[in-house]
Amino acid sequence: MAYRILIVDDHPSFRATVRTLLVADGFEVVGEAADGRSALAAVKSLEPDLVLLDVQLPDMDGFAVANELLRQNGTGPTVVLTSSHDESDFGPIVTRCGAAAFVPKGELSGGALRAVLR
Amino acid sequence: MRRLTAAGVIGLGLLLTAGALVLLVGSDHEEQAVFVGVAYTLAAWSFILGGLVAWARRPDNRFGPLLVAVGLTVFIGALEESNSSLPFTLGFVFGGIFIAVFIHALLAFPRGYLETRLVYAIVAIAYFALTVGSLFSSFFDDISDDCPECPPNAFLIVDAPTMVGVIDATLIAVGIPALLASVYVFRRRWKAASVPIRRVLLPVYLTAGVTLFLLAAALIVSSFSEEAAHSLFWVVTVAFASVPLAFIAGLLSGRLAREGVGQLILELGQAHAPGELREALARALGDPTLRLAYWIPETRSYADVDGNPIELPEGRGEELATMVERGGHPVAALIHHRSLEEDLLLVEAVAAAAALALENERRLVALANAQARIQALLDAFPDLIFRMDRDGVYLEFKGKPEDLAAPPEELIGAKAHDILPHDVADQLVGGIQRAIDTGEIVTGEYTLELDGVPRDFEARIVKAGDEAVLIGREFTERNRAQAELERLHAELQQRHRDLEHERDFIRTVVDSTPSLLCLVTPGGYILRFNTSLERLSGRRDGDLVRGNAFWDVFIAPEEREQVRTVVEEVVAEGGRGEFESSWIAADGDRRQVTWSTTPLRDDRGQPRLLICGMDITERKHHEDELRRSRARLLEASDIERRRLERNLHDGAQQRLVSLSLMLRLAQARVSDQPEQAANLLGQASDELAQALEELRELARGIHPAVLSDRGLGAAVEALVSRTPLPVELELLDDRLPEPVEAAAYYVVSEALANIAKYAEASSVAVSIASVNGHAVVEITDDGVGGADPAKGSGLRGLVDRVEALDGRLLVESPPGEGTRVRVEIPCE
Repeated sequence: MAYRILIVDDHPSFRATVRTLLVADGFEVVGEAADGRSALAAVKSLEPDLVLLDVQLPDMDGFAVANELLRQNGTGPTVVLTSSHDESDFGPIVTRCGAAAFVPKGELSGGALRAVLR
Repeated sequence: MRRLTAAGVIGLGLLLTAGALVLLVGSDHEEQAVFVGVAYTLAAWSFILGGLVAWARRPDNRFGPLLVAVGLTVFIGALEESNSSLPFTLGFVFGGIFIAVFIHALLAFPRGYLETRLVYAIVAIAYFALTVGSLFSSFFDDISDDCPECPPNAFLIVDAPTMVGVIDATLIAVGIPALLASVYVFRRRWKAASVPIRRVLLPVYLTAGVTLFLLAAALIVSSFSEEAAHSLFWVVTVAFASVPLAFIAGLLSGRLAREGVGQLILELGQAHAPGELREALARALGDPTLRLAYWIPETRSYADVDGNPIELPEGRGEELATMVERGGHPVAALIHHRSLEEDLLLVEAVAAAAALALENERRLVALANAQARIQALLDAFPDLIFRMDRDGVYLEFKGKPEDLAAPPEELIGAKAHDILPHDVADQLVGGIQRAIDTGEIVTGEYTLELDGVPRDFEARIVKAGDEAVLIGREFTERNRAQAELERLHAELQQRHRDLEHERDFIRTVVDSTPSLLCLVTPGGYILRFNTSLERLSGRRDGDLVRGNAFWDVFIAPEEREQVRTVVEEVVAEGGRGEFESSWIAADGDRRQVTWSTTPLRDDRGQPRLLICGMDITERKHHEDELRRSRARLLEASDIERRRLERNLHDGAQQRLVSLSLMLRLAQARVSDQPEQAANLLGQASDELAQALEELRELARGIHPAVLSDRGLGAAVEALVSRTPLPVELELLDDRLPEPVEAAAYYVVSEALANIAKYAEASSVAVSIASVNGHAVVEITDDGVGGADPAKGSGLRGLVDRVEALDGRLLVESPPGEGTRVRVEIPCE
């Protein structure tokens, strides 16, 4: 059974490219969200296995969204943070926010996400 | 004396004589009645008649009445011949009064009054002795001892011959010195008397002296022998009766002197030298002390023959003046001895005889006097005086030789043209001739070089007969003094003007300086303050404010106490201090003022404190504004960085990420799905092109390369080319300083962006010009207006940027009338 993924990013072109890439790699993309609040609502309604969460969002940043998901639901989806910045640009907050992993946008692929899920 | 008086006196005399003779005839105790009768009559009438003659000649002289009184009082003694006790006693006691009156008359001769205290004393003693003394003696004298036939003493109290002896001795002891004193007085008068008066005095003094001597002898003898004394008294009586005759004799000698007048007239007829007239007059009057005083009409006073002033004698001195007039005008005064007063007719006769001679001599004296005065005037003249004839020949001169153009001996007889420079000589001789011909006073000025020194003279030429008198007055010194005076005056005026300028300057400075100046006492009380402080405080310098404490008037209430304290402290420490306080105006407006205190002294040396303040409210405001502006610039810079980061992240970076993913996807599909891979590569290519475009846009936003490379004009043209509105351009060819170009570029960029966003404009004009060293940029549109630079952060940022370069940005944007943004930035 394919993993069910929610893509959260404010750039539509990025969401479209990632969807093509992940579908090609055998994932099921269950939804997309353009900001933090709609991301939280989508997690509640779609119950994805994994949330690919951009750090920089228009309303609240990815760390806050990850924190919220962790606080609301102890057995929630796996959160993978992504950004066009490097993980070192953010520091320890990446691990403290409850996200399972950080994958730079340039290195995103089905294999990279499977490695996190395993 | 009236005839009636004389008749009365004679009548009384006759009555008394008759009475005395009756008493004598009836007397039962007079043994020598005939002789006594003759003696009384002779003595009494000698005095009565002599007195009447003197009284008639000099009615205002009391000598005559005194002589009459002697004659009448003689008859008191006749009462002694009475056979009744009381009249007898009265005659016995007061019979000697006539002697006192006689002494009185003698001492009053010839003036009729007593002069000195000594004379008064002598007369008083005589009256006392012969009234009170005699009365007192009679209380103790029983006359019947010496004269058994005589009636009894009516006043007898007790018969005490010893007492009578003591009283008589006492009276004699006083009487003798009194008589000696009289002799002394006569002697003194004799010595002081002039020849004519001695002529009068001699017979009187002679007979009176003999009489007094005999009287004294009789008094002394009476103490020893009544008989001898009695005989002596008869002799005294005869001598006594001769005294008035002596007076008549003296009088006659005066009258006889009149014969001298005839001689005088003869002497006056002959020529005489000055002074001889006086001698002749002195001889005629018999007064060698005579002085002549001549009337000088010019001075309205008298002078002697030498012209010395003479004061005429007044009052009762030894001398008397008799005026000599001729034709109703005073001629002279004869100052002669007062004794000649007895014979004024003689004096007047002499004066009348000598009037003509005196008038002549008076004229000579007056002339000499006038000459002396003129000479004195001339001697006192500091001027040079020349007498010259009409040809300019020097005839005479008066003045100092050093003021002359030639030595005095060369001058007299020489012509002006021989002595003086030709032009000066011409001037003088011309003046002399004009003065002589016209009679006018000719004046002029000339300069002579004397001993190498040029000297200025002022000449006045006056006609004097057929000659001229030239008066030369030097005024070189005067000129120099005048010039010096004028110079000093000018200097003084200049200094005065300088001081006034200085004062005006200081006043102007004080009133026009922006500094706030206030002069206060060391106690802080306002004395005055300047216009700037008037403006700042809104209070007029005047009585309403003066005298109040400086802090109460100018300092904000909450700081007053503090200011009062610090002012007291600086005064105590010497007066210098610097402070910053909030000052308050009459309308409550507050100003921040930095101020200092300086100790000084005013024009009277009083210690004062000058408060000098500077209104720094605006400066403070600018400083605050600058701080805010810097903060805004920093903030704008931070915002810009964030915007850039965001743009990079959201734009180019995202596209590059997508591109990366597409390429990876295409790579995975290139072998099994080559068509899809080709499709992905096509998308990637588009993505890359867009990323490049966004990067370019971004770079332009950071700093347009064309601005640095090609300048403001090219950069603005590029901006305009990307603007969707028609823009009218007016550009500057020259390059401006880089910061100015950058600021101007962003102003144009921001303005065009705003126009595109909000203005709804149909056309835009952009102009860039250089005016007076300033870059002037204007962007005008025809849009809706209503723009407010305070609201938009974009414009606010531009204002800060422009002000950072000391420029200014103005926005005019009335609603509905378009917007005009104007920027002026200094280029240096």
